[in-house]
Amino acid sequence: MTIMRIVMVNMAEKMQMVIATLIIITLLISAGALLYITTITSNLAEINKRLSAIEDALPGLTPPTQNITLRVIGPWAGEEMEAFLEVLEEFENQNPGIETEYVIYRAEQLATLLPLQFQAAMTPGDVIATAWGWFIAEQGETGHLLELNDLVNETDYISGIFDPVKVDGTIYGAPFTAWGKPGFWYRKSFFAAHGLTPPENWTEFVDLLEDIQGISGIVNPIVTGDGVGWPISDIAEHFIITFGGPELQQDLIDGTVNFTDPQVRSIFQDRIVSLLEAGYFSEPTEWTAAVETWWAGDYALYFMGTWLTGMVDDPTDLGLFALPGCEGAVLGTDYWIIPKYTRHLEEAKKLLTFLTGVEGQTVHVGTTAGKFATHLGVPLEAHWAPMQDVMEAMSAVEPVPDMDDTIGGYWQPLFWDQLKLLWVDSSQLDAVLQTLDESHPAHG
Amino acid sequence: MDRMKSKVAKKISLSLFFIPAIIPMIIFVVFPILQTIYMNFLSPNGEFVGLNNYLEVLNEKNPQFAIVNLEGFPRFPPWGALIHNLVWIAIHLPITTFFGLALAIILRDVKGASIIKSVIFVGMVMPMIVGGIIIRFMFTEGVGIVNGFFDLIGLEGLTKTWIAYPDTALFALIFGSVWLWSGFSLILYSAGLAAIPKDFYEAAKIDGASPFRVFFRITLPLLKPVTIVVVAMTILWELKIFDLVYMATMGGPGGSSNVLALTMYIYWAYGLDYVRASVVAVLLTILTLVIAVWLIRYLVKR
Repeated sequence: MTIMRIVMVNMAEKMQMVIATLIIITLLISAGALLYITTITSNLAEINKRLSAIEDALPGLTPPTQNITLRVIGPWAGEEMEAFLEVLEEFENQNPGIETEYVIYRAEQLATLLPLQFQAAMTPGDVIATAWGWFIAEQGETGHLLELNDLVNETDYISGIFDPVKVDGTIYGAPFTAWGKPGFWYRKSFFAAHGLTPPENWTEFVDLLEDIQGISGIVNPIVTGDGVGWPISDIAEHFIITFGGPELQQDLIDGTVNFTDPQVRSIFQDRIVSLLEAGYFSEPTEWTAAVETWWAGDYALYFMGTWLTGMVDDPTDLGLFALPGCEGAVLGTDYWIIPKYTRHLEEAKKLLTFLTGVEGQTVHVGTTAGKFATHLGVPLEAHWAPMQDVMEAMSAVEPVPDMDDTIGGYWQPLFWDQLKLLWVDSSQLDAVLQTLDESHPAHG
Repeated sequence: MDRMKSKVAKKISLSLFFIPAIIPMIIFVVFPILQTIYMNFLSPNGEFVGLNNYLEVLNEKNPQFAIVNLEGFPRFPPWGALIHNLVWIAIHLPITTFFGLALAIILRDVKGASIIKSVIFVGMVMPMIVGGIIIRFMFTEGVGIVNGFFDLIGLEGLTKTWIAYPDTALFALIFGSVWLWSGFSLILYSAGLAAIPKDFYEAAKIDGASPFRVFFRITLPLLKPVTIVVVAMTILWELKIFDLVYMATMGGPGGSSNVLALTMYIYWAYGLDYVRASVVAVLLTILTLVIAVWLIRYLVKR
């Protein structure tokens, strides 16, 4: 019995040793495999680059028999997405053999995702849209984006639209359809019912607000939309453009004029703060909820972008006026980019050309997306009817770049946040302006 | 001698079984952590700058990034992201712990309590992004239930969009998030209460102990292990809070509701400043590690 037990114990120990040896061998093989995979992976970037270069040089070699699916990334969801899918559908009809798959990513999501993907010579999409021109310029300069100078002709588009995405003459983004932030929206029926008319000068504007405030049921004359803060920045920019001219907006973007400059401070103090203190603006309210309450008559005016036309029940009841004397309007667009790491370069170029050209933009502006064409070849009549009036109003003023979208970086959320603070506590004006100056990228 | 050898061999062979688990841990957890820490000491150009990045981040006065900024203290926020996290702990932790315990005791012998518990637990399982949106609407004037309630009981002075003002935004988030996390302490305390033998209560009853005495002499001491877990996990949640703040206020207005995780995100996502983002990440990790180590040591001791 004892001998048996000793034999059993020895066998168990031997078995353990055998298992341990097997594990060591497995680990050695795994380590070898891991090393091999790591080497392969590190070479992937180079392989990808070479493949792209070969495909670029010899596009005819791509087998035509197999359908290619392009991954298209954009920020649109809901009804805006439906409108955009109509454009992609038209592209697919015109280009048999190329299919598209649409994926939603907002600008801030792309800003976190793309730099990491690009570092690994990969891309989550073949053709990507983002409104952040500064981000495109930065990624283009780093060498991750395709140069688009051969695909788009600057003179075919609204003047200045390429400025945010151009570095030393090299274009890294091509504009899609645009939105504008032209002024205050009102319901024509509301104005008619209360005998109100759009103002011709500042005094009339203030009188109008006073009249509206006296109407029963009105909470405040102007509803202040709030998201993460951007609707308020749009209002502030409209005041800057009106009372300082489009050039002041540009100077503030460039950092050649400070926010604490007496002229800028006076615009904030005499025009914005005076209205805030008089209670003409509502406190910041979630901007989509604000559409409902404004439309229901709790407020009379709403400063919002042109996409508002697609968000109301009856766009024909919409009226629009800018602050009297305003000679410019912020114009923004989504830019299409092609990452260098796409595997379908020729097809991606084809799609980008379509989207940014007359055909793609014509389809898009004809939908209820509330956008207008940036390509000068798209006729006014091609636009959705409610947008035609808006486009005419926009064409009468100088297009001005969006301040926070152009400066970008962490100054952008700071700008939104500081203005939100000003809106609820106007005594903070000087601190707000100083913070904006200190954090401006141009001031180091 | 042979026995010694076989013991060592056994230990070695047993240790080898850990290796398959340890290797992926080293590759996917330890290495990235070390790399992140290493990044803290480099400039964006890759030059070694010592503790310079830490000094810059800790001395930042910009309300969007300030870690500690007590210039406005004690008037109202912003006081800096770290202080906001601590305020969160100071208010949210006792409320959720007490609320969960109170509900667990009240619901202990109630018929259909599991349905009520499930409803309360919904806040816990719901994505915090959704929770952030709900809080945003809850505290919006004319829309939210909070203002509706104040209006109903005649406290019209309190009806405003709480998340829009620097003096109330942080507190709106903290109070608004109580129901989102109370489900956690409720469930844990319910399980803890169920584990206390009924004999203890019967003996106390026979001895004529008052309900107050029973609670403090029996229930509370026996729930100590649960309380430790609830407190530690809640503090970790409060330190790491991000999505709720991001969705409801984005740290504003004027940085008055900013928290550490959001500061890290803004450095990373908007500034593309990976170095400073990693500095904040390391600071946050150190803070959470203190709590986590305390919890683990307690559990191991038990």
